[in-house]
Amino acid sequence: MTNHWLDLQHSKVFLIEGSNAAENHVMSMKWIRKAQEKGAIIIHVDPRYNRTSSIADIYACIRPGADIAFLGAMINYILENKLYDDAYVKLHTNALMLANQDFGFDDGVFSGYDEATRHYEMASWSYQTAGPDKKPKKAKSLDDPHCVFAQLKKHYSRYTMEMGSQISGIPVETIKKIADIMATTKPGTIMYALGMTQHTVGVQNIRCYGVLQLLLGNIGKPGGGVNALRGEPNVQGSSDMAVLSGYMPGYLTYPAHNEPTLKDWTKNNGTFRAKFLVNNLKAWFGDQATAENDFGYGWLPKRSLKANHTVYGFFESAAKGDVKMMYVIGQNPMVSNANLSMTFDGLAKLEMLVVHELWETETAAFWKRPGTDPKSIPTEVLLLPACYFMEKEGTLTNSGRMVQWRYKAIDGPGESKSDLEIVDAVFRKVRDLYKDSVDPKDQILMAAVWNYPKDGMSEAVLKEINGFDLKTGLPVNGIADLQPDGSTSSGCWIYAGCYKGGKNLSKRRDNKTDPSGLGIYPGFAWCWPGNMHVLYNRASCDEKGQPFDPARKIVWWDAEQKKWAGFDTPDVPVPTDGPDTPNGQRAFRMNGEGVGRLLAASYKDFDPKATDKELPRDASYTPKDGPFPEFYEPVESPTENALHPEMKNNPVLKYPRVKGKHPIGKVADFPYVLMTSSMAEHWLSGSITRNIPWLIELCPEPLIEIPLSLAAKLKLKTGDMAKVSSARGDVTVKVEVTRRMQTLQINGKEVTVVWMPYNWGFQGLSTGPSTNYITIDAVDPVAGTQEAKACLVNVVAAGSAEGGNRA
Amino acid sequence: MSMNRRQWLKVTAGMGAGLALADLGVNVQQVHAATRGMKLNGTAEFTSACNFCSCGCGMICHVKDGKLINLEGDPDHIINQGSLCSKGAAMSAVPNSPQRIKKPMYRAPGSAEWKEISWDEAYDRIAHKMKDTREKTWKATEMDGDKQLVVNRTDAIAFLGAAQNTNEECYLITKASRLLGTVNVEHQARL
Repeated sequence: MTNHWLDLQHSKVFLIEGSNAAENHVMSMKWIRKAQEKGAIIIHVDPRYNRTSSIADIYACIRPGADIAFLGAMINYILENKLYDDAYVKLHTNALMLANQDFGFDDGVFSGYDEATRHYEMASWSYQTAGPDKKPKKAKSLDDPHCVFAQLKKHYSRYTMEMGSQISGIPVETIKKIADIMATTKPGTIMYALGMTQHTVGVQNIRCYGVLQLLLGNIGKPGGGVNALRGEPNVQGSSDMAVLSGYMPGYLTYPAHNEPTLKDWTKNNGTFRAKFLVNNLKAWFGDQATAENDFGYGWLPKRSLKANHTVYGFFESAAKGDVKMMYVIGQNPMVSNANLSMTFDGLAKLEMLVVHELWETETAAFWKRPGTDPKSIPTEVLLLPACYFMEKEGTLTNSGRMVQWRYKAIDGPGESKSDLEIVDAVFRKVRDLYKDSVDPKDQILMAAVWNYPKDGMSEAVLKEINGFDLKTGLPVNGIADLQPDGSTSSGCWIYAGCYKGGKNLSKRRDNKTDPSGLGIYPGFAWCWPGNMHVLYNRASCDEKGQPFDPARKIVWWDAEQKKWAGFDTPDVPVPTDGPDTPNGQRAFRMNGEGVGRLLAASYKDFDPKATDKELPRDASYTPKDGPFPEFYEPVESPTENALHPEMKNNPVLKYPRVKGKHPIGKVADFPYVLMTSSMAEHWLSGSITRNIPWLIELCPEPLIEIPLSLAAKLKLKTGDMAKVSSARGDVTVKVEVTRRMQTLQINGKEVTVVWMPYNWGFQGLSTGPSTNYITIDAVDPVAGTQEAKACLVNVVAAGSAEGGNRA
Repeated sequence: MSMNRRQWLKVTAGMGAGLALADLGVNVQQVHAATRGMKLNGTAEFTSACNFCSCGCGMICHVKDGKLINLEGDPDHIINQGSLCSKGAAMSAVPNSPQRIKKPMYRAPGSAEWKEISWDEAYDRIAHKMKDTREKTWKATEMDGDKQLVVNRTDAIAFLGAAQNTNEECYLITKASRLLGTVNVEHQARL
């Protein structure tokens, strides 16, 4: 979230698209309802009318996967009718910057596309630059035909209301109404979850939100923002800590095979971030990390840019026999991965599977899958009893980036241990086996600092994450303390300051002090970065650093004190660099340009004062499938791409990846669109909720929801069984006939959408077929997230409760 | 009101829970407060935060004799102010569930059943397999065109999971896996 949960009370309008917040993020409703009581308008865009729709003022039924068509039509309408925030757009975005003259978009692809490799060369997605430091040239007005703003207008001119409507299924009047409300009701917020990300255009879906909110001037303000409602209790923290193949902690790009030295890495990522990587290496290698040895950078394993190290990639490698050992901690891929047959094939080829769990999950017990002969599975499996959250201590980070401490209340059952203790023990055991090794490849194990105390291990690790001044041995007080020369350390730079003053700030509980009345409570727990609650809050101010809306001020430039001040930590590069300095105008300081990016241009920011002219200060991030969001159909789609029939799907997408394992269903065989999600009673793979008796009582089994028209056609009624099949498999579940699902008119033809929860499997107290046997594992080319929200299926009456090919 | 309940209330009053029940006009709120007091008498309180979605709702765990006897929304927490949803309110079932795994379990190749093993045996098996795999599959370098580049990696070990874990656990998973030489490190955020 750019903002935070309590901040929702300040919004005047909510666009909730791709989230069923009322069921899956229930407590958000406490704050949304407060806003609604004060007159806020709630808009819910979703293929299924659910509990969030039921409290919305406007509900728009959209076809799964058609979000960019709808949002593109809104963007075009806002541009054509000059409904954007002119002052904000000029000051805080790259609208006035001049785009490269070679940049363009034709026949469904951006400039630089190579069809053979399905890859873009990004050179033309850049700016016209000038001067020795190659800064972007700026136009005098938004009317300049070469500026980013003009390119944006040109790009979205194809997204007429009629086009947006025929692709998405939302009536023209509804799109217009939503656009008018969003443009005239400020501040407005956008909330989303997996409904927007589980697509082969997932990253570009979210980019649309960025573009829309920048045009409306809604970023950096209380009640505004783009708010991701994250789906796991600590998925924010686990991402921050880089349990992802592409990152080091704090979202630093993970070193690649073609970056053998720290300098190579810095050329691609900039000196600003290199400083934080050095601090990370100091945390890992201590005294062994020196300037002379690149701070130990060379020891790190390098990811191959030619390999796929993401979860779908390594399950496919496992199925080929390349991954021999998989180590799973509290995840249940045998229910939650798309295209489960592939997941099973991967597990069944492993030499060893280790699982830390509370339960005997479908993953741990994959060799017991009904219909499987355990004799045919050679995998050794170790199932280790883990502690639940209240059986251990430590921090977690919520969607609003708030880091909270949880105390241990009880011991875990039997011989269970915390994952912290298990990982610590395993690492020490392996290192012991190498203690006499002189092989260079094992040097990293000896060089690493790893000696955590058995008592208070979580505190000790949190201190390492925060970092130290290595001269004094005291914890650093914030990001500003971190040095590039190896004199400080920080295991995750964005958490520097969580141990400010030597105190664990995640334990703070001041729920009384809220000087602004904005719901910030600066003394309750701690938010990264630097206890900042609203990111980009400098953008709430004008050129002079004064709030655009004095009634809703959050930070400002205090001319008397000569520093940025406010109710929240000001999001500025240097607190004493005022609006008359370049730093004082960098409201989006994490971008090389310092402003919000309508065009996600390829750009490196060079510092004219830098000693090494080869090294940029910063490099902006550009998604590899385009600098503007463009609509492409899902891989399995019931219709043609009305904007460019010759380029139906994301041009950068690679699918099938494995011959024979990735069939693509045709609409003639699979005429209906399936979307999947969780529900109020069951959560994700269900390993916990399907072991809680009263949640099972509330919702005992999986089902398929179908609209009345399909029920009439198939002669199905609620309670009947139906076989749901895709090109990948089939499951048999109970039918629920409901008005929640509707039939849509798409490109002049009728399209039927059906819905299923995906929370079941063959283990636990409540068992049922796994929907993910039928979902597709085509993934977003940038994020690697599967298209679980849209695939093609057929539905037929199954008569009895028997049937289906898998338990 | 049934006899049983009335008798029970009298017992409550007799225990000095602060209720005056001389007359039979029972104040429901007072009864609630009193019964809650009785249930939580002598318990230790620990603050925590929910482990389902990412709202981060505060919870209070009430513990007596080492057992969780009550779990409720934390009224002093800024986000949920005492409320919990259907899933959060149900979490008290987890610590006492008979379905929990209580010992390390081992399934041998081709076997149809689990066998209980000791932690020492589990650690030994894992550590030796990890070393063995690392030794057999190590890639010191990789070719990129005609360039031979140092990559220091094994692609045969993969780590999965962490969104259920604390930040400290996540950090150690990241650190351990990279030190051991794999970049196949992923979790629920990818999905």
